Amino acid sequence: MKYLLQKLGLFVLTLWAAITLNFFLPRLMPGSPADAAIAKLSQNGPVSDATRAAIEAQLGVPGGSLWDQYVAYLGQVATLDFGVSYTFYPQSVASMVSTALPYTIGLVGIVTILAFVIGTLIGVAAAWRRGTWLDSLPTLTGSFLSTFPYFWTALLLLFFLGYVLHWFPTTGAYSATTTPGFTLEFIGDLARHAVLPALTILLTSLGGWIIGMRNAMINTLGEDYITFAEANGLHERTIAVRYAARNAILPNLTGFGLTLGGVVGGSILVEQVFGYPGIGYLLFNAVIGQDYPLMQALFLMITVSVLIANFLVDILYGVLDPRTRR
Amino acid sequence: MAKTHMLRRWRRTAVVALAAAAVALSGCSIQITSQPDPTIGDDTMLINADHGNPFFTRNFNPYLTNTRTASRWIYEPLILVNPLDGELNPWLATEWSQPDAKTIVMTIRDGVEWSDGEPLTPDDVAFTFQLLKDEPTLDIKGAWQHIESVETQGNDVVFHLLSEDAPSLSIIGLTMIVPEHLWADVEDPGTYRNEEPVGTGPFVLGNYNDQQYSMDRNPDYWQADSIEIEHIVLPATNNQLDTVSRGYDWAYAFISDVEGTWGAASEHNSWWFPPGGVIGLMPNLEVAPFGDVNVRRGIALSLDREEIAETASEGYMKPAGQTGLILPNQEKYLDPSIPDSGMITQDTDAALAAFEQAGYTLDGDRLVGPDGAQLEFALTTANGFTDWTRAAQSVQSQLAAVGVKVTLKLPQPAGYQSAISNGDFEMAIGGMGNGDAYQAYNNLLSSEFYVPSGEPTANNFERYRSDEADALLLEYRETVDPDRQAEIVRELQNLVYDEMPVIGLYYGGIWGLFSDAKFTGWPSADDPYMIPQNYDSAPLMIFTKLKPVKEGDR
Repeated sequence: MKYLLQKLGLFVLTLWAAITLNFFLPRLMPGSPADAAIAKLSQNGPVSDATRAAIEAQLGVPGGSLWDQYVAYLGQVATLDFGVSYTFYPQSVASMVSTALPYTIGLVGIVTILAFVIGTLIGVAAAWRRGTWLDSLPTLTGSFLSTFPYFWTALLLLFFLGYVLHWFPTTGAYSATTTPGFTLEFIGDLARHAVLPALTILLTSLGGWIIGMRNAMINTLGEDYITFAEANGLHERTIAVRYAARNAILPNLTGFGLTLGGVVGGSILVEQVFGYPGIGYLLFNAVIGQDYPLMQALFLMITVSVLIANFLVDILYGVLDPRTRR
Repeated sequence: MAKTHMLRRWRRTAVVALAAAAVALSGCSIQITSQPDPTIGDDTMLINADHGNPFFTRNFNPYLTNTRTASRWIYEPLILVNPLDGELNPWLATEWSQPDAKTIVMTIRDGVEWSDGEPLTPDDVAFTFQLLKDEPTLDIKGAWQHIESVETQGNDVVFHLLSEDAPSLSIIGLTMIVPEHLWADVEDPGTYRNEEPVGTGPFVLGNYNDQQYSMDRNPDYWQADSIEIEHIVLPATNNQLDTVSRGYDWAYAFISDVEGTWGAASEHNSWWFPPGGVIGLMPNLEVAPFGDVNVRRGIALSLDREEIAETASEGYMKPAGQTGLILPNQEKYLDPSIPDSGMITQDTDAALAAFEQAGYTLDGDRLVGPDGAQLEFALTTANGFTDWTRAAQSVQSQLAAVGVKVTLKLPQPAGYQSAISNGDFEMAIGGMGNGDAYQAYNNLLSSEFYVPSGEPTANNFERYRSDEADALLLEYRETVDPDRQAEIVRELQNLVYDEMPVIGLYYGGIWGLFSDAKFTGWPSADDPYMIPQNYDSAPLMIFTKLKPVKEGDR
């Protein structure tokens, strides 16, 4: 119980620090949202002073002293009211986030779970058959692929599978000609558009899971209780899965918890390369457009989910490994 | 902050990687060809004009900054201005007159209907202006900075101006007109999203979702005979590869190696990049020694504009002269007595002579002032505006050759904008010039916009003040005689040529990309009837000129 309270206290403290940082950091950026909008316009030609005035009036500047703004902001956080987005004025921040979130969770979330499951399974198999091709092939390819930066893999896939071979669509979440709805046609179209970004994330993250699991597994396999189980003549698969993998998975599980917490942040680069309408792409545009309300809501969402994931992993660890509670 | 830094770094790496990929792939000579969507018919135009980033929001209020691009093809202005040369075309107003410099009379077109069947009346026009007065945030063209009152007289709408203000005609004419019978009931027009737009324009909204929307031809359009496009499709997201490969009929983008990419993607692809503004060096005149015209002249004479234009725009744009005019668009305004059409060519000796008059002499490879310190300054441009950055680098190395040390400052666009409006810079890359010569000079020179460094201004970022310029600008406003106006414009360009408040470098481009596969009649250098941009109101004119390619002609 004391352990739980300690962790909870730490959670609340970190949360407050994150919320406060989240308030101050965007305000340290030079220029206002109106400046960002005008700079964008002026790239296409001179902007008249009247247009500037109207844009400034539309977007406004956060009013009141910094302290007043901070108090108002804390109130907003408590009520989950993040106001109106600047870059997508007059749309509310909530509506922007709720449009983008399903795409991100659907794409990044599913792929993260897939990568974890597949990678861990391959890692178990590789460790169990270490020294054979079943070990070297996935381990080497996995580590090779994970050295590629995300966007590089994304661009290669985009170019070859998209533009040269025309196997998959290259941009957006669904075709221009499909009507969104709960139809087989639309879901199939949605899936086809998700293939390339999903493949990118899968290819670049798989290696980490494989190697993490394999190494932990090899350590565990050297333990006396495994030798003992082998000496007892237990079935190979029983030893691999029930005795070794179960203990070896702990560090990977921690990593998984944290990665899952980061999923709501989406994948900025992958989403941008594929024009995928998720949180990552939204966040990128919010930062470029100096969109404080949207930026703050998104950063907060990401921070809080990572914190919660961290908290849950701590608790889980305490349950799985009694030594941590001491 | 760490997050933005990271973003910036990622973005830069991504750009480098893209470039590397492009080089690697051109080495393998894999040609990207355009693959038009087979579901898009021959009577339908695919336009790359509206960017959702990452998805569309349903906003068709034409006065909001974040409106859907197509809302400005649904609502029409009174006068359609060609921003290339300032030419005025009758639109919802058939004719106009200025009985004196304080009055404008516009005759509203007869027989125009809103897309719900109601007629357009002069009352709609008066209502629209009242709306913009009541809700100043919507007045994006700034009509009420000029108007005192508006009244209707039969088919005419009469504008009484605040002062003698002849050039306000084009600004008032730009105002888009909305229907009174629908907008009168809107509770908060400043945040109204107008999800079901009803306008007078050539198209009405068709299907809409957050990844794309389409427009259908308005059969009751007042010049329906001239519109031969049945549908328009606008997708939400696109990158440069998509622009080239998706089979767009019309796009607007700066593309590297346009011939090898857009041009090679389809035999039907063509482009026209007319100059749309002047990119120049903007000194902060309140920072020493830029207040000294000899220093400005020295800098202007040190620069090789050919090289700067070539480097910055990949050779698409020409070097710009020192008159502030955009040539050849505004040739008719040019004072023939200005040598070489205002072009200043590199002349190191003359540059050093000018610097010397300001007290700067060459000491080895350093240009030093009376106190022995080297002439050095920071040049500010916006991060991500790649052509400006390349121009700045060129300037940096060319000035190094005459002993001037330049450091580059690259804040994010918002930071750049705030720096120049607050005068928080020494020298900056900036734009001047626009199709309307008076507006261009007014924005550049008028002391109306003057505030000292440290306070924000909307124009005249270099903080120029001159009684002569102010007198000329005032006289232009009070003059309805076009000949006298032309004379004043000539005097103003002489002022800019001699005083160099801004040092012209090269022209900013308008990047029109077209395909002749389905429609022909695009604006071109031979027929510059409208600026080839696919945003704002310009497409209204272009849509009327496009003709479908007949089956047999292909």
